[in-house]
Amino acid sequence: MKRSELFSRILIVAGILLAVGAPLFLWTRTPLIHARMAEDGGWNPDVIRAEVGESLHLKITSDDVVHGFAVGQMDMQSVDILPGKVSDITLNFDRPGIYTFFCTRWCGLNHWRMRGTIEVSGSPSDPEPAAVPLYVSLDLDLDAPHEVPIIPSTQPSADNGQRLAVQLPFDFSADYYRSHSPYQAFNDLSATSLTESQRWDVVAYLWQTNTTSESLANGQKLYAQNCASCHGENGAGDGVFADDLAIAGESSMQTMEGAMDMMMQTPVDFTDPRRMLGAIPALLQGKILRGGMGTGMPMWGSIFTEEQIWDLIAYIYSFQFEYQN
Amino acid sequence: MAKIELTRSPLIKNALKSRYPQLAVFVVMLVGYIFAILAGLIGTPVGSHNFSIVFVWIAWWAILILVAVPFFGRGWCAVCPIPLPGEWLQRGAVLSPPDKRPKWLNLRVPKIFRNIWLQNISFLLLALFSSVLLTTPNITGIVLAAMLFAAIGLSTVFERRAFCRYLCPVGGFIGLYSQTAPIELRIKDKQVCVSCEGKPCYNGSQVGYGCPWDVFPGGLTKNTYCGLCMECIRTCPHDNIAVNLRPFSADLSKPSTRMDEAFKAFIMLGSAMIYAGVLLGPWGSLKDAAYNVGTSAWFIYAVIFLAIIFIILPGIFRLMIFPSPTGRDAALSLSKGAGVRAFASLSTALIPLGLMFWVAFSLSFVLTNASYILAALSDPLGLGWNLFGTANIAWQPMLTSILTPAQTLALVGGLIWSARTAQKAAGEVKVSPIPVIVYCFLTTSLMLWLLL
Amino acid sequence: MRFRFSLLLCVMAGLVVAFAPLPVQPITPQEQTFQIDAHQFAYSPSELKVNPGDTVTIRLVSTDVVHGLYVDGYDVSVEADPGQSATLTFVADKPGSFRFRCNITCGAMHPFMIGKITVGTNNWLLRSIGLAALAVMGVMISIKPKA
Repeated sequence: MKRSELFSRILIVAGILLAVGAPLFLWTRTPLIHARMAEDGGWNPDVIRAEVGESLHLKITSDDVVHGFAVGQMDMQSVDILPGKVSDITLNFDRPGIYTFFCTRWCGLNHWRMRGTIEVSGSPSDPEPAAVPLYVSLDLDLDAPHEVPIIPSTQPSADNGQRLAVQLPFDFSADYYRSHSPYQAFNDLSATSLTESQRWDVVAYLWQTNTTSESLANGQKLYAQNCASCHGENGAGDGVFADDLAIAGESSMQTMEGAMDMMMQTPVDFTDPRRMLGAIPALLQGKILRGGMGTGMPMWGSIFTEEQIWDLIAYIYSFQFEYQN
Repeated sequence: MAKIELTRSPLIKNALKSRYPQLAVFVVMLVGYIFAILAGLIGTPVGSHNFSIVFVWIAWWAILILVAVPFFGRGWCAVCPIPLPGEWLQRGAVLSPPDKRPKWLNLRVPKIFRNIWLQNISFLLLALFSSVLLTTPNITGIVLAAMLFAAIGLSTVFERRAFCRYLCPVGGFIGLYSQTAPIELRIKDKQVCVSCEGKPCYNGSQVGYGCPWDVFPGGLTKNTYCGLCMECIRTCPHDNIAVNLRPFSADLSKPSTRMDEAFKAFIMLGSAMIYAGVLLGPWGSLKDAAYNVGTSAWFIYAVIFLAIIFIILPGIFRLMIFPSPTGRDAALSLSKGAGVRAFASLSTALIPLGLMFWVAFSLSFVLTNASYILAALSDPLGLGWNLFGTANIAWQPMLTSILTPAQTLALVGGLIWSARTAQKAAGEVKVSPIPVIVYCFLTTSLMLWLLL
Repeated sequence: MRFRFSLLLCVMAGLVVAFAPLPVQPITPQEQTFQIDAHQFAYSPSELKVNPGDTVTIRLVSTDVVHGLYVDGYDVSVEADPGQSATLTFVADKPGSFRFRCNITCGAMHPFMIGKITVGTNNWLLRSIGLAALAVMGVMISIKPKA
C-alpha cells in the first residue's frame, strides 16, 4: 500500500491506543477510596491496612455528594471529600489497633453508618485496658425510662444557684455530678431550707460548675455537626431527619424481632424537662457510647473521645438550665 | 443577495479537496470520542467533573447548536468521528481509494427505512432518558459506544453511511436545521451533469468514493441530506461542484412537503419547550419524574412528552391552519393529499423557530456551566490530575448579564424568521400565513415565559 | 418607501418596548425572611416573590445532604449542612426574575436544582413578549402583494 496510507493507519491506531492505554494505565495506578452515601455502599474499600510508624497516604474521592473524612479518637482535622475531586490525606499511627474512620459531613439519613476501619499492625506497646464506662460500673439500665414527677416552673438559673450555693454543705464534685440526675440532686437538696425553685437553681449551678465555657462551646460545635440533624438545631427532637426516622422505623436495619418498643423512635427532645431532668450524665454517656439499639441513635464509642462526650453532655443539659457565660 | 462561491479560492478548494487536512481533523475527533467513552466508563461518576459529560453535553453541544448548525449547517457531520471506523472498513482504506470492489455486504437500505422516521425515534429515545443521560457518565459512555458500534455494524451490512443518513439521532435535526444555514454544496452548471457519463460523484471512481450520504450531488437543491464530506468535489471530473456562501434559510423558500420532516420540526420545538420547563424550571416534581426512569411518574412523564409532540403541538397547528375539517378545505378545494402537503410545507416555518428555541435554551445551561470545561480538561477522569493547571477552577456562571437579552434576541429573531418563512410557504400553497404566524407567536411567548 | 418607513417605525417601537422605563410603583422596601428547605433536587418553596429594594434573608435548611443556594444575577450564595442551617442576606436592588440554583454538587441532577426569585415584576419577560408581538405585526405589515 502507499506510504501515506500506511502512515495514516499507524497514526490512527497509535492515537487510539494512546488515548485508551495511557489513561487506563494511570487509572490502575491510582488506587482511590470511593466515598458514597451509606445507602449506596459507603466507603469502598472500608478496611485499610497500616503499620505503626509508617505514614499512610490515602486518596479519597466522593462519587456523589459532599462527604468528609476523619479518624475516631485521633486528634485530626476532618478533611472534606468533594464530589469528583480527590483529597490527599496522610496519617501516622503510634499504636497498633483497630481505628474507625467516619464521614464528617451529613450525607443522608444513614450518614452515621458511613464508617470503616484502619487495621494498624506493629509491635504492641503496653496494652491499655479499655476503661469501663461509668454506666456499667454504676449498673445503670440505659433503656429504662427516666421521667420525673416534679419540674421547675421557670428555667433554673445557675447564676442564682451560685449565690445560694456559697454556704451550702453540698457535694459539687464531678463524681457526684456524673452519677446523679438533676432530679436526684434536687431531692438530695431537700435537706436544706431552700425553696423548690431555689433548689433547681442550685442544681443548675452544680451542672454549670462541672463544665467550662470552652467545653460548652466545643459541645455546641459537636452537637451542631453530629446531633442537630436528628435532634434539631434547638434540641427539640425536630431535626431534618426526625420524620424520616419515624417512617423508617419498620425497615430499620437494626430492628430486632419482637422488640417493638425498640423500633425507631423520634429523636429525643432535649428541651423536655420531664425527661432530661431525670437523666444521669453517666446514662447519657452510655447512650452516646453504645447507641440506641435499634432506635436509630448512632453509637459513638469509637468516634468521640471521653472528653468530647462530656463536653457534648454539658451542652445538652444547657437546654434545661440558664448558664451564665 | 447573491451566492459567493467559496471554492473559487484555491486555498479553500485545495484544503477541501485534499484528504490530509480532513484526516487530521478526523484523527483528533476519533481519539477524543474514544477517550470520552473511556472517561464515561472508568472516570468519576460525578458528571460535572467527568470529561465525557462536560465535553459532550456542554462543550460539544454548545459548539454544535450555537455555531456549527446555524452557520455551517451539517458542518459537524463533516468532522464527526462516528462513521469513520465503519467507513474505513467498507473502503478497506483510510486515505486513498484502492481500485477493488467493496468487501462488505453493501446492501441498499430497504425503502421503508429511507426516511427520517428512524431518526425521529432515536432522538426521542434519547430525549425521554435525557435527564439520566446528561448527568450520568457511564450512561453517556455506553450511548457513545453504542452509536459507534451501530455505525460500524450498519457499515458492514449496508452501503454508504447508513447510520448517519437513517439512524443518527443528531443527524435528524442537524439535517432539518441545515436548511437555514448560510453554507451549501451545489453543482455549478446543470448541463454539465446532464452530459456526464458514469456520474462518479454518486458511483465513485479511481480518485474517490461515491457519495456516502446516498445523495446525487447533481440533484442537490437543499442541504438536508448532504453531509459536507467533500467526496464529490474529489470525484467530479468536470470541477462542477462548489461550496457556496448564501443567504440564511435559502432552502426554506422551497419548503419540503415531507411528513417525516414536518414531525421532526414538531419534535424539536416540543422537546426544547419541555426541556426548558423540566430542566430549567423551578418544579422539582417534574425533574424527579424525568430522572427516575422506570417509575410510574416517569412513565406518565414519557406519555405526556410524546402526547405533546405527536398530538398536541401538531394537532393545534393543524386546527389553526385548517379550522374546520370539511368547510374550509372544501372552500379551498384542497384534496386530502394537498392538505397533507400544505401541513408539511407550512410546518417548515417552525424550523428557524425550533433552532432558535434550542439556541436560547442551550445558552442558559452552557453559560451557567462552561466553567467546568477547563477543570475537566485538567482532570478528565476525576483522579486528581492537573494536566493544564486548571483543575481547581471554581464553578462560576459566565456572562450572566447578557444571557436574558441574548435569549430574547434569539427567540424574537427566530419568530421574525419563522414568520417570514411562513409567508413564503403560505404563498406557495395559497393560504394565509396568519394562523402559522400566530402559532409561532404563541409558542415563542410560552418559551419566553419558560426561560426568562 | 412606505415599506422602509413602516420598518423604521417598527424598529423604533421595538426600542421603546425594550428600553423605555416603566412607571415604578413606590413601595417601601421591607425586610423579608424566608426559610427554604433544600433536598435532592429541589427547593421548597421554589418560587419567591419580593419587592425591589427589600432586604431579603434566606435561611437555607438542607434536609438530606449538603446543598448550596446561589442567586443568578446577584452572585451571592450560601451553603448548609443538614442540621446546620445557614442564612444569606442581600438587598434585592435589581428588579426582574432570577434563578437560584444549588452550587454544591449534591448528586446527579444537581445542575438542574433550580428555584426562581422574582423582584418586583418580571419586566423583561413582558417586554420580550411585547417585542415578539411587535415583530409579528411588523412582519404582517410587510406582506407585500406580489406584482
